[in-house]
Amino acid sequence: MSTVRDRNASAWLLPNDGSRTNHRLRADMRRFDDTDEVDLVVVGCGAGGSVLTQRLARGGWRVAALDAGPFWDPDRDWVSDEAGSHHLYWTEPRVIDGTDPVPLGSNNSGRGVGGSMVHYAGYTPRFHPSDFETYTRDRVGADWPLSYRNLRPYYEAIEQELPVAGERWPWGDPHTYPHRPHPVGGNGEIFLRGARAAGITAKVGPVAIANGRFGNRPHCIYRGFCLQGCKVNAKASPLITHIPDALAHGAEVRADSMVTRIEVDQRTGLATGVHYVRDGITRFQRARMVAVAGYSIETPRLLLNSASARFPDGLCNDFDQVGRYLMVQGAPQTAGRFDAEIRMYKAPPPEVSTEQFYETDPARPYKRGFSIQTVSPLPITWAEHVAAQGHWGDNLRRYMSDYVHWSCLGALCEFLPRPDNRVTLADEKDRHGLPVAKFSYSQGDNDRQLMRAAQQVMEDILHAAGAGEVITIQRYAHLVGGARMAADPRHGVVDADCRTFAVPNLYITDGSVLPTQGSANPALTIMAVAARAADRLRGSNR
Amino acid sequence: MNAEHTRFPGFDVPAQHRHWDPVTAGVVLGRMSNVRDFRFFTPEEQAVAAVLCDRLLGQRGDDRIAVAAMIDARLAEAQTDGWRYADLPEDGQAWRATLAALQDDARRAHGQDFARCSEKEQDELIQAVQDLGTRRWHGMPAGRVWSLWTRYACTAFYAHPDIWSEIGFPGPAYPRGYKNIGVDRRDPFEVRDARPDEDPLR
Repeated sequence: MSTVRDRNASAWLLPNDGSRTNHRLRADMRRFDDTDEVDLVVVGCGAGGSVLTQRLARGGWRVAALDAGPFWDPDRDWVSDEAGSHHLYWTEPRVIDGTDPVPLGSNNSGRGVGGSMVHYAGYTPRFHPSDFETYTRDRVGADWPLSYRNLRPYYEAIEQELPVAGERWPWGDPHTYPHRPHPVGGNGEIFLRGARAAGITAKVGPVAIANGRFGNRPHCIYRGFCLQGCKVNAKASPLITHIPDALAHGAEVRADSMVTRIEVDQRTGLATGVHYVRDGITRFQRARMVAVAGYSIETPRLLLNSASARFPDGLCNDFDQVGRYLMVQGAPQTAGRFDAEIRMYKAPPPEVSTEQFYETDPARPYKRGFSIQTVSPLPITWAEHVAAQGHWGDNLRRYMSDYVHWSCLGALCEFLPRPDNRVTLADEKDRHGLPVAKFSYSQGDNDRQLMRAAQQVMEDILHAAGAGEVITIQRYAHLVGGARMAADPRHGVVDADCRTFAVPNLYITDGSVLPTQGSANPALTIMAVAARAADRLRGSNR
Repeated sequence: MNAEHTRFPGFDVPAQHRHWDPVTAGVVLGRMSNVRDFRFFTPEEQAVAAVLCDRLLGQRGDDRIAVAAMIDARLAEAQTDGWRYADLPEDGQAWRATLAALQDDARRAHGQDFARCSEKEQDELIQAVQDLGTRRWHGMPAGRVWSLWTRYACTAFYAHPDIWSEIGFPGPAYPRGYKNIGVDRRDPFEVRDARPDEDPLR
């Protein structure tokens, strides 16, 4: 395989003068007219949309990538502060419902170029081979129309482009990482110590933070603000890993452009472009192909808002599949108290993980499993953890003054996909006059059993490390599904190549196409699926 | 403020601001201003909100953080968290409705405004909402009301640099970063906890 730089020069296109944005590259960016019929218009510049844009721009396609949010400049737009990072999240109105409603916003929804990877922790594990065939193996979830083997080369390619640092990985399909593991801070040290004492294997990584310089990206400074956007350019997000190379190959990134509707020619049945709003003005970008990459809430919402005479119940929704099987991971977070000072705010929150409990264990009453990782909440999120124990007033203050003594672990439990966990349109409208998304979520028995089991293991690890008190908060993490891939249109919205069954020149290339989620953070898999879709497009079409 | 300020003697986060990048420093130091204009809450709502937030955060005395004003500023800008529960209105309306309900509880139980009740009475009224758990309070799910209050109050309070001094957190870390990471390791600008055995449970 060629060197990373030959395939994707993004890291070398960033400045090396201490600033973080190549303003010249952006100023010189190609700009298409709305009336130009571009080869591809991409909706959303997050993990999926950015990779697709970069790959096809490299292939000579004329690509315009629209994003509802800003084209970030880390120097100017991001701060080393929790509350001041509120604008990194998608905070347009949404309604949450069901017996176990899932908070959105800061928990799982990004905005702007780079998407949710701007504020993700940075964990980039692969899915396990079993994740692609949970139905065959365990009669739960769904089988993908592609296998782990189909995705493996794309995992390897993306791991080099981010790049990912970590120890040799013994779980799933065992593999190594391009960069050595990072040194760990107090929280990672506690996890490693506790796991060793409890007889559990834990490893450092996998984290999409270069260990050492990478191109013109500097070394991590271990400041602990990964979730607030990396001002250093050390943590990978598409803003710095794929967009610069896309621009250098003639793609346009059109920020602050909210796509409101996909247009389909009622006679040919083909997509002709997208309606969008920029600076308050309604526009229409013509395109030969359309790829939607708005993530698991906005992608279904856009399809449902693109209803027409041919698609009265929403675009691509002939079989009532749009918005369904939306998944979150159960993410209980357990903290332990130590007399020593842990100071978990130092070093990146993603440090150490174990996937020892990832697979179905026949000795257990539940199917599938969970992973455990360090999470290192900053004061505001830590206050939420403490307040969840019921503490308030003087008691809350006393607990909070003890912050430096706590270590915190988080689990990712594989909640199973369910048809009624879905996005529909609410009666309420946003400032564009469009119905907002309503996300309904309810847990199943298997889900609840996994949460309990994961909490028990985290408590065991922390106690084994010497913790006194342990406290837990029930949370959710990540989003995938909502427009899943399947073998046929009765069971999903897109095929294995991310092409919609209903409209031959309409693609969906984001996390919403994933049929299962495993216990892995989804970013790497979303990128790998998009990279594969791009390869298929380059090979077949045009 | 007050309470636990002495666990980290001499630790003064705002005094470190020269080590912060200018964009972050602007955002963080702006929170230290005492100039507070209310634009969202009515005066009656303001009175209930100010006391509620101070009680939730154990604030007494003259140097209190103006938490209700910080919440007012967020609500005036409709800076929500990006979601609302189907059985509660959007955050601004939910705040108005819950403050009115708390006022109503105070007048029924004690014949006077919430802000004029004794601290003990205020705390009992607040505790009664928490104790309802998943049950309804004035037609609203009490647990979600509790979550709304504590979420907004804690987000404002633990964003304040003086409160970081109280908990030993150095705040902004760019471009300085950390060099000494690991258990019981401190960077030169961090201060050791003077009362490390002050486990809240002991």
